[in-house]
Amino acid sequence: MPTVEALPGPFTFAPESTALLVIDMQRDFLEPGGFGESLGNDVSQLRRTIAPLAAFMTNWRAAGLPIIHTREGHLPDLSDCPPAKLERGAPSKRIGDPGAFGRILIRGEYGHDIIDELQPAPREAVVDKPGKGAFYATELQDLLDKGGIRSLLVAGVTTEVCVHTTVREANDRGYECLVLADCVGSYFPEFQRVGLEMIAAQGGIFGWVADSTSVTLEERP
Amino acid sequence: MTAIIGPVKATPYLWPYDGSVPVERTALICIDWQTDFCGPGGYVEAMGYDIALTRAGLPATARLLDHVRSLGMLVVHTREGHDPDLSDLPANKRWRSAQIGAEIGGQGPCGRILIKGEPGWEIVPEVAPVAGEVIVDKPGKGAFYATNLDLVLRTHGITHLILTGITTDVCVHTTMREANDRGYECLILSDCTGATDPGNHTAALHMVTMQGGVFGCVATSDDVIAATEG
Repeated sequence: MPTVEALPGPFTFAPESTALLVIDMQRDFLEPGGFGESLGNDVSQLRRTIAPLAAFMTNWRAAGLPIIHTREGHLPDLSDCPPAKLERGAPSKRIGDPGAFGRILIRGEYGHDIIDELQPAPREAVVDKPGKGAFYATELQDLLDKGGIRSLLVAGVTTEVCVHTTVREANDRGYECLVLADCVGSYFPEFQRVGLEMIAAQGGIFGWVADSTSVTLEERP
Repeated sequence: MTAIIGPVKATPYLWPYDGSVPVERTALICIDWQTDFCGPGGYVEAMGYDIALTRAGLPATARLLDHVRSLGMLVVHTREGHDPDLSDLPANKRWRSAQIGAEIGGQGPCGRILIKGEPGWEIVPEVAPVAGEVIVDKPGKGAFYATNLDLVLRTHGITHLILTGITTDVCVHTTMREANDRGYECLILSDCTGATDPGNHTAALHMVTMQGGVFGCVATSDDVIAATEG
């Protein structure tokens, strides 16, 4: 079984029961001119994850291993968007408003979909989620159960929000999570640092942390 | 005359988002104020941590409990713990706790560590539940997963949550994130929480306030008390 030098200690996983979970690599969050940038965020902080994650996904697929993608978003009629999420903070742009890439965070819109560089391959699962966590109100648990998955390698954005919430959910459900430090990103460098520290604190209270380049895979013969 | 909470002077917006909320639709959630985490002789203290950090929020939480009980607000207490046969303990959680010298189910200074019914698992007297208050036992960090908390809150018609407890960055944050995804409007209290690492306490509170309040708001117990009418 592959063993990865990680924090707080070595992470060992069985490839046949491990999936790569790629969280919310969506145009609305990552593309210049999109929703994320319109809120004043520096999208380059997220875009630095694209190249290492694309390379890692290539290797992961070559090894014949599963990838599950998630997208945060809501139904066009907003019936799955809690009022508190929609209205709080009086943002300049709200979910469902017209944006540069279609209605913001609405399923089916161009901006809601995954960036070109990391598009899902045929037959890879895409989980649409209404919240920050990928387990609540989604089919993710069923997908993992049916696939016999017990360990997750986690990538995506943003580190302290959707990645953290999902890893916390997964950890409570007994999944072993390795967060790929170079493949997760935050608009805020301080939260990137603290977010990764919190994962591995107290003996790995939520999981393990390592760079994707630390993971060695064998190509499927 | 029913009491109303809000608008509370909070960060990053006046809480709640919808201006104010009747006490009947609000619950105070007190997370994991257990002896093993913050009591003298508990296992966190036995591991060499300074429990002054996890106890820091106790006086303010006790004062706030007096206030909300006088208003008739729903109070929910949570306890992290496992069945004595460990049948609800994920293997990785057990392994990790052993790695840091505090194996769940093993003998600790206050009975078996994090096992239901043991002295160390009980809530400390300063903020102990009173008759009629809800107690939720949870096997994880989040209080929603594998518990009846969501059912209890919806049955009571609760839409807004005020969070206290320990630790800020672990169980309180996980629960706040779960609540937020479920549509509850959340307020975390900086003076009624605490962490074994003060930096993580501060960072966790700061995370809440970003992006217009991505998980809700931060305030103090005095802000809540000051914003109560009726």
